[in-house]
Amino acid sequence: MPANFNVDPRSGVPIYVQLIDQVKRSIAVGALHPGERLPTVKQLAVDLTVNPNTVARAYRDLERESVIATSPGRGSFVSEGDAQTRRTVSDVAAVKLEDAVRDARSIGVERDELQKLFDRFIDRWYPHGGNQ
Amino acid sequence: MNPILIDGLTKRYGTFDAVRDVSLEVSAGSICGLLGPNGSGKSTTFKCMLGLARPTAGRALFEGAPLVPEMFEQLSFVPERSALYDRLTGNNHLEMMRRGYRNYDARRAQAMLEIFSLDPGKRIHRLSKGQRTAMGLVLAFSIRPRIMILDEPASGLDPMHQRAVLDLLIEAAAHGTAVLLSSHQIGQVERAADRVVVLKRGRVILDGNIDDLRSREKVIEAVFALPPDEKRFANDPRVRRVERRGSTLRVYVHADVDDVARDVNTLSPTSMNVLDQNLEEIFFSAVEEPRPATLEAD
Repeated sequence: MPANFNVDPRSGVPIYVQLIDQVKRSIAVGALHPGERLPTVKQLAVDLTVNPNTVARAYRDLERESVIATSPGRGSFVSEGDAQTRRTVSDVAAVKLEDAVRDARSIGVERDELQKLFDRFIDRWYPHGGNQ
Repeated sequence: MNPILIDGLTKRYGTFDAVRDVSLEVSAGSICGLLGPNGSGKSTTFKCMLGLARPTAGRALFEGAPLVPEMFEQLSFVPERSALYDRLTGNNHLEMMRRGYRNYDARRAQAMLEIFSLDPGKRIHRLSKGQRTAMGLVLAFSIRPRIMILDEPASGLDPMHQRAVLDLLIEAAAHGTAVLLSSHQIGQVERAADRVVVLKRGRVILDGNIDDLRSREKVIEAVFALPPDEKRFANDPRVRRVERRGSTLRVYVHADVDDVARDVNTLSPTSMNVLDQNLEEIFFSAVEEPRPATLEAD
């Protein structure tokens, strides 16, 4: 297997969502390269001991978002093109960021205060502006 | 046409409905887990499906037709207590399979014996409970049927062999077999199944794609300075139930969670969180029984 996927069936997060997140994350960190072939639905289902229909559902959604492309008889491949890869990377970050914002709101952090915190972390991790 | 279809199945003993108006379908390549407390009607459902008991009403169809002998080759049934001949050996049983089933696969049977670490030369009465269960599974998996029905298929097996059963079911589903299995172990169902049906007192109380249930069944946990009246949500059709502990309100939602969260928010909580529920938690909130400290292990 090109990337090390695994799912937690005990979690309340749908398994197909876990798979989608992991494929995107693998692409974002470079464990899966554009153009690289993904395991077949059957193979991944057997490897992870999860239902084949669930894996198929994850692949369908990834295809719909153009993260992967499937050609009949050849298999599924990570989509190529910088724009698509950047979109995938940004998706992965968006999920984390939204979780953090939702958490902050749930404990009553005000919008302005959160904005200030966000700016502070941006300054810390992007000290030279622009790209890292 | 779905390989398994149960339509309005009812089984009445005297005045007691062991199974009441149960309907479900399992499509090719799907694994459906049948869950429910003891005595909720799981085994009765299987018996009625397979002609071991006569339903009071309703019917079961296999690939669109009632069960006929021609179908047996395409159907593996693993009963809760394995129906094996005590005085015969494992090899004797496999020989009967070979003679009775045109789709018997000797190499596959050999592989199954190895997976379950069984000595086929031993007579059945010399096997442990777990080994008998395993022998029943070897027979079931020695053919490649289009339909598999398993009643508590992992009872008495050690964790490694339990996992092997799941692997085999996944592999069967990947080849297009429709699988219906009952289990006490929610862990098996949440891992291998894509579909779950929960029975309580003979009725279906929850039925759906497991990932859809994970997406839909949420808990809104809100903390208040002044706890509101929990009855406010008691009769809300979007809400399964409401719990209050001190100043914390937990609202179990089974419809659009954002919608309900907005309503909770109008009560001005000091904090509010939406929590995921795993299948075990969904099961307990559906059967409306308090979650015991430990789950039944077997």
